Amino acid sequence: MNVTLAVKQYISKMIENSGPGMKVLLMDKETTSIVSVVYTQSEILQKEVYLFERIDSQSRDNMKHLKAICFLRPTKENVENLIQELRRPKYSVYFIYFSNVISKSEIKALAEADEQEVVAEVQEFYGDFIAVNPHLFSLNLSGVARGRSWEPTLLPRTTQGLTSVLLALKKCPMIRYQLSSDMAKRLGESVKQIITKEYELFDFRKTEVPPLLLIMDRSDDAITPLLNQWTYQAMVHELLGLNNNRIDLSRVPGISKELKEVVLSAENDEFYANNLYLNFGEIGTNIKNLMEDFQKKKPKEQQKLESISDMKAFVDNYPQFKKMSGTVSKHVTVVGELSRLVSERHLMEVSEVEQELACQNDHSSASQNVRRLLQNPRVSELDAVRLVMLYALRYERHSSSILPSLMEELNRKGVSERHRRMVTSMVEYGGKRVRGSDLINPQDAVAITKQFFKGLKGVENVYTQHAPLLQETLDQLIKGRLKDSQFPYLGPSSLRDRPQDIIVFVIGGATYEEALAVYNLNRTMPGVRIVLGGTTIHNTKSCVKMAGCPLGGGQFLIHTGNC
Amino acid sequence: MASSYPPPFEGTGEVKEGFLCPLCLKDLQSFYQLQEHYEEEHSGDDRHVRGQLKSLVQKAKKAKDKLLKRDGEDKPETGSYESFYYGGVDPYMWEPQELGATRNHMDFFKKHRAARIDHYVIEVNKLIIRLEKLTSFDRMNIDAGKIRAIEKSVVAWVSDTDVPFCPDCGNKFNLRNRRHHCRLCGSIMCRKCMEFVPLPLAYKLTSGTREARSVTGSQSQSPPTGGGGNVSGMGSRRGSISSLSSVTSMLEEKDDERIRCCLHCMDTLMKRQQKLEEKDHVPDIVKLYERLRLCMDKVDERAPEYIRMAESLNAGETTYNLDTAGGLRMEVQKYYELIDALSKKILTLGMKEEPQPHQKTLQLQRMVRYTATLFVQEKLLGLMSLPTKDKYEDLKEKRKQEQEKRLTQERLIAQVAQKRRQDSEKNRPAASTNGEAPQAPRAPRMTKAGGWLPSSDTLHTCGELEDPLLQQIDNIQSFLRQAKAAQRHDEVAMLEENLRQLQDEYDQQQTSLAIALSQRLAQEESLQQDELQRLEDRERGEREHRAQSQAPGSQATYTWQGSLNLTDTGSLHGEEEGEEEVTPKAESSPLSMRAFPALTDQDEESPPRLRRLGGDVTPPGGEGQNSSSLNPFEEEDSTPVEDPSNPFFEEIQKEHKEVANGKKEYNPFEQEEGGEEEQGQAEGATGNPFEVKEENNEGNPFKEASGCTPPGASTNPFEGEDEEAMPDVDVIEEDLLLQQIDNIRAYIFDAKLNGRLDEVELLSENLRELQRTLQEQKSKTH
Repeated sequence: MNVTLAVKQYISKMIENSGPGMKVLLMDKETTSIVSVVYTQSEILQKEVYLFERIDSQSRDNMKHLKAICFLRPTKENVENLIQELRRPKYSVYFIYFSNVISKSEIKALAEADEQEVVAEVQEFYGDFIAVNPHLFSLNLSGVARGRSWEPTLLPRTTQGLTSVLLALKKCPMIRYQLSSDMAKRLGESVKQIITKEYELFDFRKTEVPPLLLIMDRSDDAITPLLNQWTYQAMVHELLGLNNNRIDLSRVPGISKELKEVVLSAENDEFYANNLYLNFGEIGTNIKNLMEDFQKKKPKEQQKLESISDMKAFVDNYPQFKKMSGTVSKHVTVVGELSRLVSERHLMEVSEVEQELACQNDHSSASQNVRRLLQNPRVSELDAVRLVMLYALRYERHSSSILPSLMEELNRKGVSERHRRMVTSMVEYGGKRVRGSDLINPQDAVAITKQFFKGLKGVENVYTQHAPLLQETLDQLIKGRLKDSQFPYLGPSSLRDRPQDIIVFVIGGATYEEALAVYNLNRTMPGVRIVLGGTTIHNTKSCVKMAGCPLGGGQFLIHTGNC
Repeated sequence: MASSYPPPFEGTGEVKEGFLCPLCLKDLQSFYQLQEHYEEEHSGDDRHVRGQLKSLVQKAKKAKDKLLKRDGEDKPETGSYESFYYGGVDPYMWEPQELGATRNHMDFFKKHRAARIDHYVIEVNKLIIRLEKLTSFDRMNIDAGKIRAIEKSVVAWVSDTDVPFCPDCGNKFNLRNRRHHCRLCGSIMCRKCMEFVPLPLAYKLTSGTREARSVTGSQSQSPPTGGGGNVSGMGSRRGSISSLSSVTSMLEEKDDERIRCCLHCMDTLMKRQQKLEEKDHVPDIVKLYERLRLCMDKVDERAPEYIRMAESLNAGETTYNLDTAGGLRMEVQKYYELIDALSKKILTLGMKEEPQPHQKTLQLQRMVRYTATLFVQEKLLGLMSLPTKDKYEDLKEKRKQEQEKRLTQERLIAQVAQKRRQDSEKNRPAASTNGEAPQAPRAPRMTKAGGWLPSSDTLHTCGELEDPLLQQIDNIQSFLRQAKAAQRHDEVAMLEENLRQLQDEYDQQQTSLAIALSQRLAQEESLQQDELQRLEDRERGEREHRAQSQAPGSQATYTWQGSLNLTDTGSLHGEEEGEEEVTPKAESSPLSMRAFPALTDQDEESPPRLRRLGGDVTPPGGEGQNSSSLNPFEEEDSTPVEDPSNPFFEEIQKEHKEVANGKKEYNPFEQEEGGEEEQGQAEGATGNPFEVKEENNEGNPFKEASGCTPPGASTNPFEGEDEEAMPDVDVIEEDLLLQQIDNIRAYIFDAKLNGRLDEVELLSENLRELQRTLQEQKSKTH
């Protein structure tokens, strides 16, 4: 149930299969992302893979002394490109791996193109998803919805991605879906269809309790992606935008050239791995410690390497030192930029009000606070819009709603018409009419008691009060209390026992806050393993964009894009 | 949630309150049981009550959290995995995981490819055969008409009337645009679409590279010999052909040196030619790269070995030889230099050539070089440096001290435990597992000779037992237990026999011990060197203090012996096993015992051994010196190994030439048996307690003399024991001297038998010395 490891294993198996010698990895645009998220260049170089090429690149030279490992999605263009490649092979041997199911006819076409017998392997390795964290995957698809239904081309694509996760983890699950979402049902049926069609592939060793696939819709909880985040990974994504574990820092003032784009991967960065889920305050402390540690190791400028033993000590520490200096400068830059944005945009205050909107039930105080912030000139446009969105979602049907006056406030602030319209779009996307669950006001007695206890305990951290709806849903699921009326099973059979292996898929995109919730559930729940996935991973910008343009589907999302 | 808490026994009383059934007030032990109980007994009750129960349970949990000062909310932040009792794992810890599903299409692929390949191969072969026919005659000396006739016989030409337009470009044929026939397939094309196979290429294709080369000679400019550069570029080929054709334009119709063919046949032939060329061609980069990888593999193989050595040496251990490690370091470094040189060469491949290699080729070269640099950085710079010779000595000393300190501590702990257990555990085999022994207990090991060995971990503690015989008894008992467990009945019988004898021995010894010890101590005192005396005097105060907490002094002396020899023999068991198999059964005397302790596997690095080895580095595994001590006479060869800087060494040499290493002295009852001539050589060499004594004394001063031991090191328990033994040393000394004299006599006897006259001489000198000492002692005591 570790998606990162699953992809890594696939890739190292491919490389292993090709034997010793210099190799080139031929990929397409999407598999390039898939590979780059789990492997760093130096890691893969050590496996004798020296060149990374795109199958559609025209500038490739004949290099008959290289072996080619092709890792491609089974798309029409890729197959066509590959056929051309095999007709005039540029490399000595081809090991071909498709990331998903490929049709017999396409294999036949490839076979007929291989007149020079350069193909040594044709296999399906189901690494057709972006493994962000060990328990978190994304398909990097945006605009999957057209109104309330699937963008036609993206349903099969999402199905492919999701089934490849199942295959990579060797799970043949029972499926539950969110009843209120037609898209969830469609996807569930589509996945089920693939499982039935490829029954041979899904013939895994039966476990005592069958795994469970839970398909949800983002529209059920539109609040979570709108909140500012305070844990490292989530915060980086919210404020800087994580794209395949990379952040674009080019807009940071005074950034050095080598830090324009940095990779944050828990696989190779110990500091990041340890601080992924810690909140901003703790990271500050840890960064300080890291710096101090680094200062100690750093050779003093004035201290010349006079004696041989000095040099020896330096050389002994050198690789570690070098590695560390990279880590240090990277994280110092990132955290520095985060804190700059936090103070520049008054994010502490904004976040406090956001959390109040999301978690408390005091309309008058909340509306006052929202209004106050809207009048603050230093609160950015995006934050203003998001506050109004949260207010609109939260007090959608409140008798004394001040939404019209807030919209007026936005107008006065100079927020463009397009952005103001997004508030309405957001309510349409995730408003009460759409939701199947009780996102805001819990109805049943247990939940009310829970909220009561929470109130008794008091709030430890005003900025992290909010717990995503997913956490509650999963908690219920694990305890066997998730209502069939909200999340019915697909097909006649249902799970008797409490589920153990759970794959949650959020149509419309998951968030890092939810990833953290799943991470904590994994750590605190005995015998339960949960993997979270989504068509994409949202931050506020991408979520607003998704809700704001429900008709413009089909294009791939770039997280960092302006909205 | 519930299961993330520890089981109820941790919470005891307070928690119990929470597990009363709210309906029948039955006290249930745990949340689970309560839930079970509730669901069984009260499942009919209405849901409201159930909700109550749940809230009750929640409250109870909360209370428990408070009591245990463990806030559930804080857990995820603590980051310590111990806080979760079972289950619940960090996703990063989810390994291992098998490879995900895969599906292989190769069989299907091959099936379809085979059909295609068959077709393709036939096509190619047909062309080659025709080409061969077309080139098999002397084109220069036959007139055009005849050539045409031959060409027509090879393949049927398509009739001119059937083809009004060029099938490739679609131009109409007329007087100016004439028809041309492909000589390989007979098809028709226009002049523009026509290709020529130059004869050299044809020869090459039909009969391999060698002939082609010999034929080309004058035509070295012709494309086929140009190499693989233009393999796929039809354009360049065409260009060169056209230039060729302009030269021969006058002989338009007479194809002396080339064969007309169509575009398609040419394409097929070119592919074929390309393949032929690639077959034999190994680019430079591949050759260099292969060598590079070879070096890298070597480093991967050697570096860990070296690092192990360096670590050991830097820790002051003596498992490895400094010089060997140095040699290995040189070797590894040589490989690094090679890697560096090779990768640099790869980087600059083709850089000076014109035109510059393709950018991808350059990128490949850069990447190879980068990888090599990374490799060297990671491995070479991580390569630990070796200590210098002097430093190494220091390190060794330090380690020795640390180890002794540790032993002291362990011993102190053990002593406390020992006092408590002494009586109750004397007869129990488990007695040996007292407080000490941080080493994990070893399971009985399988070895070549014996096949089975009792685990020796128990012996490590013998130092704490007040009498070596008792230790021995304990050991035997523990061996017995292990043997029984291992179903070694023969061993069990033997061990039982031994045990009985040992116990008899012990009784005897106890009676004679008191007298013997007092004598011995008195005698030894006179033997002490002045310097030794002085050094020891300095430390006597604190040592005696320590000694007082020890068991009676005499016994402690033996303890020292015991631990000394045990540690010595640790490395020896390999050699001794053979002995073990033979001796005990054959003799079935108390002596047979002795093989056993020898088998004991002690911590090889224990201080006594270090001390004895002095500045020498024992090659790992070799143990030549130690093993040789099986034979006392071989000792002489090995004696030089001992540190000559030891001021006391000479004297000891004089006295016991043959027992340099004090290998076997451990056996306490050899004191009694010492004089027995029928002992095997190996046995005879060993086990003289007197020698042990010497060894001991020699050891300590050496340590101090070498100047590395600060006075603080005197906490060494072994030294303490020596010291403590001092008051009555001379009492036992006389007895021991007598034994020693007997021993020497036995050696002399043996040496004479074996004709080693030089040894006899030395031994007799020794004997004289001993006798003289004895006299001195006697005169002193009386």
